[in-house]
Amino acid sequence: MKDLFRNSYFIILLISLLIASIGILSIYSSTYQKEGKFWQEISRRQILWVFIGVLVFIIFSNLNYRWLWDCTYFLYTMALFFLFLVFMLGQVRLGAQRWFKIGWFNFQPSEFVKLIILIFLSRYFSKKSTDDISLLCAKFGILRAIILPFLFIIVPMGFIIEQPDLGSGMMIFFLFICLLYFTGVRLRYIFVFLSASFLAMPLLWHFLRDYQRERLLVFLNPNIDPLGAGYTVIQSKIAIGSGSLLGRGWLSGTQSQLHFLPESHTDFIFATFAEQWGLAGSIILLALYYLLIRQGILIARKTSDCFGRLLAFGISFLLAIQIFINIAMNLGLAPVVGLPLPLMSYGGSSTLATFIALGILVSIDKRRAVF
Amino acid sequence: MSRIKIVNLLIICTFLFLGLSIVNLQIIQGKKFKTLSDKNCIRIMSQEGCRGKIFDREGLPIVDNELSYDLMLLPQDKREFDKVLLAVSKVLGTTQKDLKDTLKKSFVASSLPVAIAKNIDLKKAIALEELKSDFPNIIIQPRPIRHYPYGSLASHVIGYLSEIDHWRLTKLQDYGYNTKDIVGFGGIEEKYDYYLRQDEGGLLFEVDHRGKFIRVLGFRAPHNGKNMQLTLSLKAQKIVEQGLADKKGAVILMDPYSGEIIAMASFPNFNPSVFTGKLTPSITNLFNNPDAPLINRAINGTYPAGSIFKLIVATAGLETGKINSSTTFLCRGSIFVGKQEFACWDTHNYQDITAAIAHSCNVFFYKSGLLLGAQTIHDFSLRFNLSKPIPFELPYEASGFVPSPLWKKIYKFKNWFDGDTVNFSIGQGDLLVTPLQMARVVAVFANSGYLVTPYLVKGLDQRDISNHQRKIVNLHLKPRTLNYIAQGLRNAVLDPKGTGHVLSGLSISVAGKTGTAQVSHGQPHSWFTGFFPYKNPKYVICVFLENGGPGYYACVVAKQIIEQMANEGLI
Repeated sequence: MKDLFRNSYFIILLISLLIASIGILSIYSSTYQKEGKFWQEISRRQILWVFIGVLVFIIFSNLNYRWLWDCTYFLYTMALFFLFLVFMLGQVRLGAQRWFKIGWFNFQPSEFVKLIILIFLSRYFSKKSTDDISLLCAKFGILRAIILPFLFIIVPMGFIIEQPDLGSGMMIFFLFICLLYFTGVRLRYIFVFLSASFLAMPLLWHFLRDYQRERLLVFLNPNIDPLGAGYTVIQSKIAIGSGSLLGRGWLSGTQSQLHFLPESHTDFIFATFAEQWGLAGSIILLALYYLLIRQGILIARKTSDCFGRLLAFGISFLLAIQIFINIAMNLGLAPVVGLPLPLMSYGGSSTLATFIALGILVSIDKRRAVF
Repeated sequence: MSRIKIVNLLIICTFLFLGLSIVNLQIIQGKKFKTLSDKNCIRIMSQEGCRGKIFDREGLPIVDNELSYDLMLLPQDKREFDKVLLAVSKVLGTTQKDLKDTLKKSFVASSLPVAIAKNIDLKKAIALEELKSDFPNIIIQPRPIRHYPYGSLASHVIGYLSEIDHWRLTKLQDYGYNTKDIVGFGGIEEKYDYYLRQDEGGLLFEVDHRGKFIRVLGFRAPHNGKNMQLTLSLKAQKIVEQGLADKKGAVILMDPYSGEIIAMASFPNFNPSVFTGKLTPSITNLFNNPDAPLINRAINGTYPAGSIFKLIVATAGLETGKINSSTTFLCRGSIFVGKQEFACWDTHNYQDITAAIAHSCNVFFYKSGLLLGAQTIHDFSLRFNLSKPIPFELPYEASGFVPSPLWKKIYKFKNWFDGDTVNFSIGQGDLLVTPLQMARVVAVFANSGYLVTPYLVKGLDQRDISNHQRKIVNLHLKPRTLNYIAQGLRNAVLDPKGTGHVLSGLSISVAGKTGTAQVSHGQPHSWFTGFFPYKNPKYVICVFLENGGPGYYACVVAKQIIEQMANEGLI
C-alpha cells in the first residue's frame, strides 16, 4: 500500500481523476437548469472526454517518451499546419476562429500547440556536444540561446494571438522564459530578453484588437465597463465571495445557475465551484493542484536525462501557469484572457491535452532508470 | 540546482497567494458579496447615445432622432410576473399573453432588464411610471430612435435600421457588434454604420430589496454617433421625387464637375420608419412586393441602355477617325445586314453625326457600328467604366455588363455576327447598365472630357471630406469629339424634329439624349439623360422609367423637374 502511494503513475491518475470529477460535478451544476439539448448533454460529454483522456493517459504513459525526441519536427510542422488551417478558416468565415469541427468535436489546436512547443524547446535546449556530456546551451551566445528558438516559437505564437487567443499566446511566451531559466542559459541573456520584450510592449499594443485592449483596460479597472467585459469579473467575484467558508452546497449556487455568470462551465468554472463549496472546497482544490504540480517537479528533479527533465519541468510549469492565470482571472486579479482551467473546464481539446501531458510525465518517471 | 529550488519556491508562493486571495474574497469580504448575491442587488441600466444624424448639403436634417420610451421589466421575482403583466397590459391595451411571450423570448439573465414593450408614447409612459410604486421591477427607459421628418424621401439613399441579422453579425462581431444591435440596412445607414452608430453606455448600481437605489458601482458614458452631411439637396430631392411621382424608375441629379449627387430617387420607395418597430405585415409586404421597393433602381438595377449608348458609339467613331464631321449616311428607314432587316424608327435621309444624335437615327449608328467593329465599341465602353461598379458609396451596387465577341464565344459557344454588332451599336442586345453609370457618361460631355466619380457624403462629423471623395479622371478625348456630340445633344432639344424637343420651351437651355430600350416583356424602358444649362452646365440629369414606354415620357418627367427647379431658383 505504501508503495502504491510512492508510485507516480497511481498518484497522478488519482489526483487528476479527483479534479476531473470535481469539474464534472461543477459543470453539471452550472448547466442543469439551462434549457436545450446542448446544455443537457454537456456534463455527459465531459464524462466521455475524461474517459477518453484516461485512455490517452494510459497509452502515453506506456510509450517511451524519447520517441517524442524523434518526431519533434514532425509535431512542429503539424502544429503549424493546424494553426494555419484555423487561420484560413477564420479568413474564409470572416471572423474569429479558434477551432474547427471534426465530426461533432470542435478541435482547438492551440491547446496541443502549447505541448508541442514545449517538446520542441526541450529538445532544442538538451542538445549535447559530441565529445562532451555537458549541455550545449550553457555555452550558447545570445543568438543561439534566445533569438533562434524565439524565432521558432514566434510563428505559432503569432497565429494563436491572431486567432485571437491572447491567453494561449502569452502562455507560450511565459513557457519559453521558464524553460530558458531551467536550461542554464546565462541569466544575463534572459534579463536582456525580458527587458527587450518589455520595451516592445507599447508596439504590440497596436497589434491587439479593440476588444483585447478593452479587456486589458477593464482588468485595470473593472468598473469602466460594467456592462461588457467588466460584468463577468464583477459577477465572478460575487459568486466566489458569496461562497463564504463552507459554500452554498452543490446545486444551490445562485450566481452560476441563475445565468448571472457567463461562461460558468468553461473559463469561470472555478467561480462556480467556489460558490458552492466555499473556502474549504477551494483550498482542497488548490491543494490537489499543488500536489499534481509537485509530482511533476519531483519527477523532473529525479530525472537525469536532460530532455526528460526539461520536459517534466515544462509540463509542470504549463499546468501551474494555466491554473494560476485562470484562478487569478476568476478572482479578478488577472485580465480575462480565455484560458481554461486544466481538468476542470468543459472542453475536449483542453482535457485531452492535459491528460496527454500527464501521460508523458509518468512515462518520463518510468523510464528514468534507463538513462 | 539553485534555479529549481527558486522555481519550486515561486510555485508555492503563487499557490499561497491564490489561497490568501480566496480567503480575502470569501471570508474577509464574504459578507458583502453574500448580501449582493442574496438580493441580486445589482441593477444594470443601459443608456444609449444618439445615432449620428444625416444632413443635406445645406445642413438641413434629412434624418434625426427623437425620444421614445421602452418598458423594461426586471425578471427577478417570477411570482409577481402575472400581477405586473396584468397591470401593464391594462395600460398598454395588449393582451397579457403577448407580453409574457416577449418576456420569455428576450430573457437573458435575471439581473438584466427585459424590454417587453418598445416605442411607447409619452402618455402611456407616464401612466406606467405611476405603476412603479406598486411594482418596483418596472423600468421606463427613454431611448432615442430614428425620426424621418420627410417620410419616404430619399429612402434608398438613407436605408433603414433594423436588428442585426446572423450574416452581418458573423462579419461584424470583431468590430464590437453584438446580437440585438440595431444596424443599418442598405444606403448610407449600412455603408457608414460604423461611423453613425452610437456607443452604448450604462450604469451599474446597487439597490435594496425593494428596488430602491443605494449606490453606483460603475458607470460608462454613452457616446453619440458621428453626424454626416450628404451632397443631396433636400429641395432638389423633393422636386425630383414629385417629378417621378409614382412611376417605376429612377432619377439622378449630379454635379457634372465634382460628381456630387444632388438628388437620387427611385420608385417604388419605402418609409424607413416602419422598420423601427417589430416585424409587421407592412415590412413583410415590402419584402414580398414584386416591384421590389427596397431596390434602388439608380444603382442596384441593370437595364439595357437603348439609344443613350449611341453617345459611346459616336465617341468611338470620332476618336478612332472612322467617322468625322462630314461623314453622312443615308437613312431609308432600315438597312439589311445579311438577310435580316434592321429598322430605324423613322426615315431621316442624309444624316451627319450631330443630326444623327439629335434625331437618334438608328441607321447612322448601325453603319458606324459596323465600321468600328464590336470590339472597339466594347473597349470604348470600358473607357467609360461600364461593366464594373463605379465604385459608388451605397452598398450592393450592380456592375452592369458589356458584351464582346470573345465573351460570346467563351460563355455562349456562339459566334458574334454583324447582326450582333448592329444591335450592340444602338445599345440593345446583351448590354446592361445602371442609370448612375449613364449619368456619369453624359457628364463627360457636360464637363468637356472628365469622368467623375459620383459621391454622396460631403462631411463627416463637421469635417469636410469632399477633397477626399473627389476622384476625376481625364479621358483624353479630342475637343472636336466633345464639341460635335455636345452640339448633337443640344440639337436634340432645339431641332423641331429632335427627340427631346419637348424640352425646348423651357427658360433653361437643356441638352440631352433620349432612349427607348426594347425589352422582351412589356413596354420599353424610357430613358433621358442630359445636362443643363447648356453653357456652363450645373446639373446632369438622368431619368429612367422602367417599362415606361418611349423616351418621350422620360423627357416629360425631366421637363417637370427642370421647370420646377428653375421656379425655385435652384439653377
